[in-house]
Amino acid sequence: MRTEMLAMILAGGRGTRLQDLTNKVAKPAVYYGGKYRIIDFPLSNCANSDIHTVGVLTQYESVLLSSYVSHDSTWGLDGRNSGVFVLSPREKDTGFGLYRGTADAITQNIDFIDQYQPEYVLILSGDHIYKMDYAKMLDYHKANKADATIAVLEVPLDEARRFGIMNVDDADRIVEFEEKPANPKSNLASMGIYIFNYKLLRRALLADARKEKSSHDFGKDVIPTMLKANRRLFAYRFHGYWKDVGTIDSLWQANMDLLDPANGLDMTDPSWKIYTEDIPTTPQFIGPRAKIKRALINQGCVVDGTVENSVLFRDVTVKRGAKVNDAVIMPQVVIEEGAEVRNCIVAENMRIPRGAVIGVRDKVTLISRKAQVMKHE
Amino acid sequence: MNDALGIINFEGRNVHIAGMDEFRPVPAISFLGRYRIVDFMVSNMTNSGIENIKVMIKDNPRSLIEHMRTGTQYNINSKRGQMQILYSDTHEDSSIYHHDVNAMLQNMQAFEEASEDYVVIAPSYMIYILDIRKVLAQHVGSGADVTVVYHPTAHLNSYIGCQCVDISDTGRVTGIREIRGQSTANNKVMLECYVLARPLFIKLVQEASALSSLYDFKDYLSAMSDVLNIRGFMYEGYVGCLNSFNAYYRINMEMIDHERAKNLFHSDWPIYTMTNDSAPAFYTKEAHVKNCLIANGCQIQGDLENCILGRGVKIGRGCIIRNALILPKTSIGDFTHIEYAVVDKHVVMEHKKEVIGTVRKIAYIKRRDRC
Repeated sequence: MRTEMLAMILAGGRGTRLQDLTNKVAKPAVYYGGKYRIIDFPLSNCANSDIHTVGVLTQYESVLLSSYVSHDSTWGLDGRNSGVFVLSPREKDTGFGLYRGTADAITQNIDFIDQYQPEYVLILSGDHIYKMDYAKMLDYHKANKADATIAVLEVPLDEARRFGIMNVDDADRIVEFEEKPANPKSNLASMGIYIFNYKLLRRALLADARKEKSSHDFGKDVIPTMLKANRRLFAYRFHGYWKDVGTIDSLWQANMDLLDPANGLDMTDPSWKIYTEDIPTTPQFIGPRAKIKRALINQGCVVDGTVENSVLFRDVTVKRGAKVNDAVIMPQVVIEEGAEVRNCIVAENMRIPRGAVIGVRDKVTLISRKAQVMKHE
Repeated sequence: MNDALGIINFEGRNVHIAGMDEFRPVPAISFLGRYRIVDFMVSNMTNSGIENIKVMIKDNPRSLIEHMRTGTQYNINSKRGQMQILYSDTHEDSSIYHHDVNAMLQNMQAFEEASEDYVVIAPSYMIYILDIRKVLAQHVGSGADVTVVYHPTAHLNSYIGCQCVDISDTGRVTGIREIRGQSTANNKVMLECYVLARPLFIKLVQEASALSSLYDFKDYLSAMSDVLNIRGFMYEGYVGCLNSFNAYYRINMEMIDHERAKNLFHSDWPIYTMTNDSAPAFYTKEAHVKNCLIANGCQIQGDLENCILGRGVKIGRGCIIRNALILPKTSIGDFTHIEYAVVDKHVVMEHKKEVIGTVRKIAYIKRRDRC
């Protein structure tokens, strides 16, 4: 069976700076936006872009992530020629094949891709938040007769040194790629989204695998080698909301962004829904003493306190007299009577005791362990 | 998995949710913003381990078929279990012939080909939480021909058109009689939920039809109450009987109170429904919301008290809405004042700025209206 374009989502990252949130969970499975896990975004984008076959490359703490993505009906990817396939490192006759880099993860699954004989392969990252029509990117790729197309985002020049930067000619053909340059020449940052002609990619990956000095990374190795070989690489300019949430601060901020209706990530757009796990819960119960302003609240919540500038995930309870300000409250948290939570991310299943005051003014605090809560009481 | 076939019966002529049931069958009517009425009884069945469920539809099947799909959302295993919609039509001129016995006869093949020893029949318009395994266990243990579930109540006027059962000291049902508004204490309302052996069920349906072309299933049970060993199973918990528009409004509104809603929502008894993949509800900084039941996908700018909002409802700036039930996908324009009303699905209210009902006379805005 042939597939025109197959997607491979790199989802092995740990996200160390997300602290306790990624203790037992890979970063793509971290909660976001009151309802979602981050990987829902690339998976829904695939489904909405008419891509039916998706490989998900997992490595770090993959149990929850793998079981989550394997329910392919969640994203409507359960048709006869569809599927989400979890590709974890496996034991081979040469030993156990841990993924040594982003490119190596794909190389080790060439046998999987070969089954579908795709014309193109779309490489995605599992931990970015954005809505994008990959079909349009493929049209652009074809129109340019490109060998590879890399989605780019225009970033402020002073932030460009944090990204992989593409230097392009007048036709947006990439002439140079610089990983985190000290003196960036352009503001086109790679979003880690690549379309490759598969035949070329296959050869490039096998060649890269043989190089001893390679770090087997797309940005550091595969793309620069292709540029050196004068391949046709094009930058595809993306306009819209895109976020790589690497830290507690940026995860908090990305949640807060949703409270601004002009955030560019219109979650209410019925033509481009983000699909996620369907957990049976009740509607949300807003009690007689509730006060809610500027909030995103998911089903199953029971609110009889004050919630302002906050995002509440499913089944959160905010009891009478409790106050939640500028906070992200993950599933099944209970905030007892009179407790106050501000500037926090509260991890799932936490209970904030009666009368506790949690969080400080100038810094976002992650509340993920009982001890942390108790000492503020 | 239980050895019982589940049958969601359609409601009898005692049920009429005026206005709303013109557009869809009663089981498909929205309930508490994010459910359909049928979700509760189907969830009772699947939570009780029943995975082969037949859903009988009287008329207007489209919306219910759309909602039920293959039943996987109710936790029905797609290979071992089955959700089947049984549609029937009466070829008679009068709808009086279009009753459950007629529909069961038309679909008899589905019941004959099932492999389960027992059937559990229940309509969906009575909303309650029932562990059917307990009814089955009592049924098998008692040696009854038929076990009927009843509910002791002092509020018979909530059950006009339903039946009461008379029960002897030995637990046998000696009579089934219609409720006509008399309200005495300790009445036992029959919830029209029956457990019986599948072959007996098939036989009773055939006999009922042979005896009277107008009999529905409960008429025949009533007629046979001194011949069959019918026994009662007492269910004392909460029952919401959605038999009229006013009852529909009242029971929805009662559930705004979280304590009362716990009668229907137990942590170990999920109520399944079809997901709509909508975003969490968004409250703007102008929003004022107290005592409400809100579904996902809502965008709220106005001032709401004692309301239920279905999925994807939009409430504009400056709206004042009290004691209203707004069904899914409806949009209420800026500065609209609504009191004591049911606004059906997909309504766009842009021009009319005031809809005021009263406690006694709830206003109704019909589905897909533009006003």
